[in-house]
Amino acid sequence: MRTDASVHAVPIPEGLLEPALTVGRVTPGSLDDQVLAFPETKPPKQWYLALAVTLTALGIGVACIGYTFTTGIGAWGNSSPVFWAFDIINFVFWVGIGHAGTLISAILFLFRKRWRNAIARFAEAMTIFAVMCAVIFPLIHVGRPWLAYWLFPYPNERALWTNFRSPLLWDVFAVNTYFSVSLMFWYLGLIPDIASMRDRTTSKLRKTIYTVLALGWRGAASHWQHYEKAYLLLAGLATGLVLSVHSVVSFDFATSVVPGWHMTIFPPYFVAGAIFAGFSMVVIVLVVVRETMQLKNLITMRHLDVMNKVILAMSCIMAYSYMMEGFTAWYSMNEYLHHGFMNIITGTYGWAGWVTISCNIFIPQLLWFKKCRSSYFWMILVAIGVTIGMWFERFVIIVISLHQDYLPSAWRIYKPTMIDFGILLGTFGLFFTLVLIFARVLPVIATTEVKAILPDAQPSHGGSHE
Amino acid sequence: MSKKSYAVLGLFDTPDALMHAIPKLRAAKLGTVEAYTPYPIHGIDDALGLRRSPLGGMVLVMGVLGALTAFGFQYWISAIDYPIITGGKSAASWEAFVPIMFEVTVLFATFTAGLGMLLLLNRLPFFGHPVLSSKAMKGITRDRYALALEAESEAFDSAAAAQALEAAGAADIEVLPAPDRSPFLTSDYILRTLGSIFVACLVAGLGIYSLIKWFPLLAPMKYMQDQPRLNAQKASTFFKDGHGMQPPVPGTVARGYLPTATGTQEGSATLVNPLPRTKDVFAQGRKVYINRCEVCHGALANGAGSLTAAYGAKPANLQAQQFRDYPDGKIYWAIVNGKNAMPAHAAYLTEPQRWAVVHYVRALQRAQNATDEDLKVVAP
Amino acid sequence: MSQPKPTPPLLLGAVALGAAGVLGSYFAAGPERFWANWVLWFVLMFTLGLGSLFIVALEHLVSAKWSVPIRRIPERLATLLLPAIPVGLIALGAVPVLYPGARPEAAHHPILAGKAFWLSLPFFSVRTVAAFVLCVIALAVLVGGSLKQDVSRDPAFNFRARKFAPAFMAIFALVITLVAFDWVSGLTPEWYSDIFGVYIFAGAFLSGLAATALSLLYLQGEGRLEGVRQDHLYNLGAFLFAFTVFWSYIGFAQYMLMWYANMPDEVIYYKVRLAGAWRAITFALAGLHFILPFFALVTRDAKRDPKRLRRVALLMLTAHVLDIYWLIFPALGGSPRFGWPELSFALFFLGGILLWVRGAMQKGEDMPVGDPFLREGLEFRL
Repeated sequence: MRTDASVHAVPIPEGLLEPALTVGRVTPGSLDDQVLAFPETKPPKQWYLALAVTLTALGIGVACIGYTFTTGIGAWGNSSPVFWAFDIINFVFWVGIGHAGTLISAILFLFRKRWRNAIARFAEAMTIFAVMCAVIFPLIHVGRPWLAYWLFPYPNERALWTNFRSPLLWDVFAVNTYFSVSLMFWYLGLIPDIASMRDRTTSKLRKTIYTVLALGWRGAASHWQHYEKAYLLLAGLATGLVLSVHSVVSFDFATSVVPGWHMTIFPPYFVAGAIFAGFSMVVIVLVVVRETMQLKNLITMRHLDVMNKVILAMSCIMAYSYMMEGFTAWYSMNEYLHHGFMNIITGTYGWAGWVTISCNIFIPQLLWFKKCRSSYFWMILVAIGVTIGMWFERFVIIVISLHQDYLPSAWRIYKPTMIDFGILLGTFGLFFTLVLIFARVLPVIATTEVKAILPDAQPSHGGSHE
Repeated sequence: MSKKSYAVLGLFDTPDALMHAIPKLRAAKLGTVEAYTPYPIHGIDDALGLRRSPLGGMVLVMGVLGALTAFGFQYWISAIDYPIITGGKSAASWEAFVPIMFEVTVLFATFTAGLGMLLLLNRLPFFGHPVLSSKAMKGITRDRYALALEAESEAFDSAAAAQALEAAGAADIEVLPAPDRSPFLTSDYILRTLGSIFVACLVAGLGIYSLIKWFPLLAPMKYMQDQPRLNAQKASTFFKDGHGMQPPVPGTVARGYLPTATGTQEGSATLVNPLPRTKDVFAQGRKVYINRCEVCHGALANGAGSLTAAYGAKPANLQAQQFRDYPDGKIYWAIVNGKNAMPAHAAYLTEPQRWAVVHYVRALQRAQNATDEDLKVVAP
Repeated sequence: MSQPKPTPPLLLGAVALGAAGVLGSYFAAGPERFWANWVLWFVLMFTLGLGSLFIVALEHLVSAKWSVPIRRIPERLATLLLPAIPVGLIALGAVPVLYPGARPEAAHHPILAGKAFWLSLPFFSVRTVAAFVLCVIALAVLVGGSLKQDVSRDPAFNFRARKFAPAFMAIFALVITLVAFDWVSGLTPEWYSDIFGVYIFAGAFLSGLAATALSLLYLQGEGRLEGVRQDHLYNLGAFLFAFTVFWSYIGFAQYMLMWYANMPDEVIYYKVRLAGAWRAITFALAGLHFILPFFALVTRDAKRDPKRLRRVALLMLTAHVLDIYWLIFPALGGSPRFGWPELSFALFFLGGILLWVRGAMQKGEDMPVGDPFLREGLEFRL
């Protein structure tokens, strides 16, 4: 039956309309003045205070790593049979957090979700910082970190190659690719914004630095054409990375025969968990940013609302994964798998299992309620809970499965040491130090991208882009 | 540098104004129309008549190249150059090569997209374009939209271009000088670039090499070499005498050299020779006898050994009746524990060697005291 | 597939011929082969209908505007769940024949004894019926409500659909996992893979997308669906591309993990499918379900080209049938069976599906005219 839509248009009721992406009147000029002013001004006292705290944490981490270098891995709690503990937990944790940034910049770009524009820059920066924190662990957890370059397949006098059948080597390639691609994607996005900063600044030193970094970008339409194509292609390729990198990380576990590790659902389960943890970290940071940098009109409650919904959706996917693990533990009729699962809910580390389930499944259900999605207190509570829960999830997967696997004579209890905790604290210090520095040195919002979606930004052709 | 004008620029306040002006200016055919905007404008590519970007094709080709390179490299390493079976997987296990193949594909593709766009298609970095130093630049990256008529040939009429721009609605018309773009690929430039790349690689290579060789010798890296453990033929503070290698504790017995005949010689009389009387056993016994026993007991076991005269000793004459009547066990006991001046031979002879010697001594005794019966040839 | 409008008599004739062959095959080819075919086509109909319903619910969940003009198509396709129900109820007859867990010997099998009560026919049927009930409820809310909105023009449906969408996702997750574990991997109950639900989901979603694309192009060819442009086609093509990659990723992940650990109770699944003639089918599946559609849709232009999309959508549906065949038929043992029983079943069920979909395409308006976002959806530009 033919349909003539224009004749029978139904008016859109209030409840279905989405709030605007910017609050108040925002013009390209006012946007520049608001966002690009920060790199030019001196930071407030609170920033220095925060930096002092994060640098202290970073210092503790560096000291602990130094102690590990001089004394050996024995300074950690790793011991038979739990040969992998905090090192791999922290690695997976940080790589996971990085995935949110790539999802926001790349996947949401492909879906043309315009709400991503205001938060993509910060999220991408967080990806890069998170991957930097993650990469520390593979380097320091080998007994001889100064030989870490042996991980790369270069021709050498030992006449040896690396073992391409090992998932640990797949990790090396995956994480390095992820870091390079994220860095390139982030930098390319920054070029037009740095060009804006170059043209606004009055300081000669800054002008020189920005001129070099902007590569002579002049906003030519012929350049924009190739730029947009490159950005689209990079977004598509980075999407592939979001799925593949954390899947390769999950292969570290899933390719083994340890009961509780060899589960085929690990690849998508890890990816969902990564997005889950990452979005929570983004929410925490963005709440702080929008308040302290007076960016409430650009990072609106709508942005936070949508991100909370994504967190909720991921929580449901995690619930499905946990249910599948539980179901499979029974369905497989495999006593080892069954024992491993019972350990998660009733064993020595059962408390960790319940922290995981509560923080990842139960508490985020609060986000069904609009009140919680719009309240700083509740959304930060949920986000911090998720961060803790996702860390504990890796703890549960790694420590519980390892401490009691096939041979009862090898069962032992694992106890982390203060050095373990110190290094973890140090990575949080590194992450937030970099975040603080980024917030004052580079534009935290991709002004060019937001300008492109302001009302009246595009020539009127009566089209919509949702 | 030429003072000829290269382009005439005009600013617009809205994207709509910009888009409306483009067809007018293109129709005027006064020069190439280029737009400068703070962000990409929808539909401007078609309005300006820009050709499609070839970046997609480039990325696809490089991506496929990345996949083939990664797979080929891994296959060559794992199946051809140094095939090792690890984890029970065959050398050419393609399944294991897929993850890295995927990542390298993405790596090649993204670097092509990023660097290809910047270096090849946009020819950036380039800091000499006149727009960058124009008055309009500040507005272009902020909130204004510019159109430029750029010279296509010598006969560029900047006045006409300025008029056309004004007629199309532009403000702040500006004439730009030619860009200082000296030819990009001069031989001098290429030589300098290649030379500097070479020097940079050399320096980096030497630096990394020396760092790699020298770094592990620093503390704390060298702690792995300096471990508190016993090293062969080195001093050690662990023992009082400072030696790493200590002699064995008194009473240490090597395997196979147990003194198995303890107690008295009489008590060993019941021991039975476990070895058969074969040619090999006799040959072994003879060898041991020549090495160990002949010096004292003589080649014919008659006590006339080569050492006897020098030391004035009187080794037993094994041809004497007393010794011919000895059961094997008592001879064995004497070998193991020694007797009178004869030292214990337990530490020098393994058990089989001791019993072989006993066989040989018996053979010697029989040889020197043969009867007519012994001369009879035994039927094979 | 720019075929002339299939004349109902020809289609009806094909269905009748197929039906005769189907009945005959029970006696001539044996109950096992009959039931294997029946289960194959039940799983196809059910996953196609469920996948289409998932598309509808997803659109409501994320409040997508671009897809509103084409939402009626997957809604109509989702009604395939209705004839799938009697087919499924009949398919329960396969359980004692093909499913080892439901047989009496299972109670003494070292692995199956513990879960024999789960795998046995009574509990199996209860779960299946429960799934059907949930599907009917979802259909009533999402599709029934949408059709009603054509007439009532009441935006209350949008509110209800947005509230129901998350609940549907929970229902969908349970039902698709059920179909995967009970109907498909239940054929080899000693084997298990916890990603299997996701694998079947990927196939279902992809088949729903392909059927939507095919139907959309058919309707456009008829001159209906004015206002749906290349921009909409591009999005559909992009989804087809993305989820082809997703299916391949899930399929490869499952295979590679089982290959790597090399545990005998897992690897047997693939050993069977790589032995003899099954090897060729496995390679064909990889080629038709991944390699070909990937390269056919990789360029931007390909994703919005109607001819290309039509061919790839047809290829995807064929590959989906091949996928289910590859999953189910090794349970019969021996080499892949393909003869007149399989052809009859194909005639009967394909004909039946086409007949039903033809009828469904007449239900309601071609676009959800009561939806407030229809205009925005039609104005969508890339």
